Amino acid sequence: MLLDSGFEDVQIGPPVDTFGGASGETNARQFGVYGYAFLARKPG
Amino acid sequence: MQEESQVNSDELRAQVKEKYRAVAVAPDAEYHFHTGRPLAARLGYDSAITDSLSDAAVESFAGVGNPFSLRALQQGEKIVDAGSGSGFDCFVAATLVGDQGQVVGVDMTEEMLTKSRATAVALGADNIDIREGLLEELPLQDAWADVVISNGVINLCSDKQRAFAEIFRVLKPGGHLQFADIANSEPVPQSAINNIDLWTS
Repeated sequence: MLLDSGFEDVQIGPPVDTFGGASGETNARQFGVYGYAFLARKPG
Repeated sequence: MQEESQVNSDELRAQVKEKYRAVAVAPDAEYHFHTGRPLAARLGYDSAITDSLSDAAVESFAGVGNPFSLRALQQGEKIVDAGSGSGFDCFVAATLVGDQGQVVGVDMTEEMLTKSRATAVALGADNIDIREGLLEELPLQDAWADVVISNGVINLCSDKQRAFAEIFRVLKPGGHLQFADIANSEPVPQSAINNIDLWTS
């Protein structure tokens, strides 16, 4: 989706266990949900 | 991030507002996600910056990752925080870009706007401007920003392609988008994607 929007040089950081220990952990585990950092650049 | 769905945009937006209105006014209540200083530590924020901020600046933070982890902001840069909430990432960004930099936070939830504006005044952060708006219609001119940051908000937009197009528009050529969001490694059934409750909880 980032590339489709015109961005380039896309980087994705390692997963972070954002919901671990919170009440949303069960849903997060069910669907393998983690937080990620993303970096992309507008050409130019 | 989740695939595009048939979720009603207005209904989703209303539920997101309701959820984050609560986080603004009752930051110590229990939510399905972590908040505040414990969350900032969990996500690897620079403790020297977090510790320098007031409780009001940090307590309603509800991000899902660290948008500063893959690239350091530079002194003097102009930053847009798309979905700025209570302003925590704005305050971190303002610290990093310094007095010569500028930070514009954009959010749609009245209680978050009120809280972040009050905190910016209390901190004496003259380089922060909080504006009401949507990610899909950012209240900024073309090519204004060196960097757009966002944290756990794009995932809550039903039209992510439009949100990315707006971010692309407000970035200068060569500018960076650095954001954090959730992504799933296991397939999510269509019934769950269409369930608004699961988008916000």
